[in-house]
Amino acid sequence: MRWCGAMLFAGLVAGLVAATPAFSAGEDSDLERIPAQTPADTAPEQPTSSSKDVNYLGEALEISGTRHGLAVPYPSPRPATWENWLFLDTRDEWRLGEAWRLNYSGRLNLRTSNSIPFPTHENARNDLRELFVEWQPTETVWIELGRVNIRNGVALGFNPTDFFRPRTVIEPLTGDPSVLREDRLGVLMLTGQALWRYGSVTVAYAPRVTTPTAIYNIRNEQNFDPGFDRTNAEDRVLLKTSLNLAERFNPELLYYHAGSRTQIGANLTTPVGRNIVAYLEWAGGSRPDLIADAFHYGRMTGALPAAVTALLPNSADARFMNDLSLGASYTTESRVTFNLEYHFHEAGFSSTDWSNWFNASARRGFIPGVNSALWYLRSYAQDQQEPESRHTAFLRMDWQDAFVTDLELTALAAVNLQDASWFSQATAEYHLSRAWTIAGLVSGTYGGRRSEYGSLPGVASVLLRASRYF
Amino acid sequence: MRCAMFKTMTRRFLLIALVLAAAAGAARAQTAHDIIAGADRVRNPGEPFRTTSVLTEYVRGQPRDQTVLTVYSKEDNASGQFRNLVRYVEPPRDAGKMALLDGQNLWFYDPAAKSSVRISTKQRLVGQASIGDVLTINFAVDYTGTLLGDETITDAEHQTRDCWHLDLRAATPTAVYSRAEYWVEHGSFWPIKTKFYSDSGRVLKVLYYRGFTQRLGAVRPGAAVIIDAVDSTLVTTVRFDNPAFQDIPDFWYQRDYLPRLRPE
Repeated sequence: MRWCGAMLFAGLVAGLVAATPAFSAGEDSDLERIPAQTPADTAPEQPTSSSKDVNYLGEALEISGTRHGLAVPYPSPRPATWENWLFLDTRDEWRLGEAWRLNYSGRLNLRTSNSIPFPTHENARNDLRELFVEWQPTETVWIELGRVNIRNGVALGFNPTDFFRPRTVIEPLTGDPSVLREDRLGVLMLTGQALWRYGSVTVAYAPRVTTPTAIYNIRNEQNFDPGFDRTNAEDRVLLKTSLNLAERFNPELLYYHAGSRTQIGANLTTPVGRNIVAYLEWAGGSRPDLIADAFHYGRMTGALPAAVTALLPNSADARFMNDLSLGASYTTESRVTFNLEYHFHEAGFSSTDWSNWFNASARRGFIPGVNSALWYLRSYAQDQQEPESRHTAFLRMDWQDAFVTDLELTALAAVNLQDASWFSQATAEYHLSRAWTIAGLVSGTYGGRRSEYGSLPGVASVLLRASRYF
Repeated sequence: MRCAMFKTMTRRFLLIALVLAAAAGAARAQTAHDIIAGADRVRNPGEPFRTTSVLTEYVRGQPRDQTVLTVYSKEDNASGQFRNLVRYVEPPRDAGKMALLDGQNLWFYDPAAKSSVRISTKQRLVGQASIGDVLTINFAVDYTGTLLGDETITDAEHQTRDCWHLDLRAATPTAVYSRAEYWVEHGSFWPIKTKFYSDSGRVLKVLYYRGFTQRLGAVRPGAAVIIDAVDSTLVTTVRFDNPAFQDIPDFWYQRDYLPRLRPE
């Protein structure tokens, strides 16, 4: 018995002795991972500041597959099946004295495609996104004059309060709405902003300097024109205030007047626990529905005949309509962030509107002129960056450092809740080095022949991109 | 008689022992808070300041990426926690991006999109900005501490340090990590090591403070090494350059100021 006790004690001691080095080894293994060649504490210090300029040379090639047997035949020119862009993207700021700055943002494109001849003037295009002078008369006041990109909104997939968005996206390299904003035109305007501890006030006036023009297609985009017809074809005023009411609640209220229309809007966000942010973006104002709006614009710019309004039932009388994005983001322990949103666009197509749209072409014997007018409606919605349908769900996933450091995976889907058709896109972006980034993007549309996405001419596309920052 | 006297003495002894034990427990809880607050004061001065964080990522021991951030820090008198504005300087693809890290008022600004997105406490850990402000977390505000005992550990420079070993539990929604272990050196209150845990109890990273030098009015850590416990190939070193006191107005700490923050 005593022998057994001695053995047990010896076993415990041996176990403890054996366990002690194991614990130490665990602690030491942390320290062993510290690289021997880390920068010395005496290494030259980094400058306290540096330019915020970002310049890069990009190359992108997109190959697209087209869908045959469309419910409504697509008018010419058909979408390109391949396109290539070589572009220089520039975002610079120069200080012009103590209180003045000059800002420039733009992209110079050299593009080739099977839809445009080469070499022609159509191969070169410059997108002048921003060019403005900024004056800071006091510590808390900023005045800007020139082409400025003011973007509002807290949602990712649809921003009802982003009032300056119509017609500003020229030739997107992605279907991701949150990235689309990176290459859009600003608006010629005079802006002023004042900040204080508990909020800010922003005022912007964008004058009408030209008349509205027809919607551009791949063949008739202007190459070195600043495109004020897209951005300054009517007088517009924006008044916005942000209120820092609490740490978790900073509402933003907006008033917008364009031509003869007025809209009001609000942006609300709040954290929910440690993983979730909930948000709501709303705008409302008096307007006709999307079909009437598109017909009116088509007739005004000479793209559609006057009789086109009889093609589809529409509501030309203005009434108060709502736009809404309601969503939440959720971040997991693995650093994956999901955004789920519901979009409501009251002026958009109802199920009946979609049914009318699909039936109109067949009823009139698929006449090319009718098909052009029907597709014009959808081009108009895209040009205005309005959802085509009333009810849409949007899901986005973003995973930084996925599997390996510097690999970012993004996936998104926009689902028409009326016909269950959808668009999806997946992107993988890898930072090869400080200067080089490569990316691959695949996208596709899915749905029945008589659905929003299943009726589109583009069925799938692959885009490869390389960027060299300098 | 003797038996009754013995019982009375025993009761008194037990009562005194209980009172002493309770007093000792209270003193120990107070001590844990004092230690954490003392280490907070070593890491952070009471006045607003600016620093440049140089982050170098090592993958399998080889340097791979470098990120440079400018961090503007100011203690919030109401909460006692630091508010940070983080501006990306390097790499070129990220230049001009900003993060506002102020309690639960967390925003990320991308100058390419010209938009600010509200982020959650958990999303704050995505990207390098969370490392940029790692030194300014005031543990005494967001965590409840328990003193586990004394321990001698080896620091990042392979020196042995006699430390208090503390267990920290998140006490507010603004706490970035749900749990941490913390080693603070006896006497000097220098923070030596922190081990951060996820909600599920998994070790996320181990942080060693180092490079203690005279800066911002006292001896403070000038660098840190972060050992990633999830990705075993990844180690990040952080150097805190150019520390300087700077008068930072309160109105800087709001979403609409992010596009306005310019390099000095």
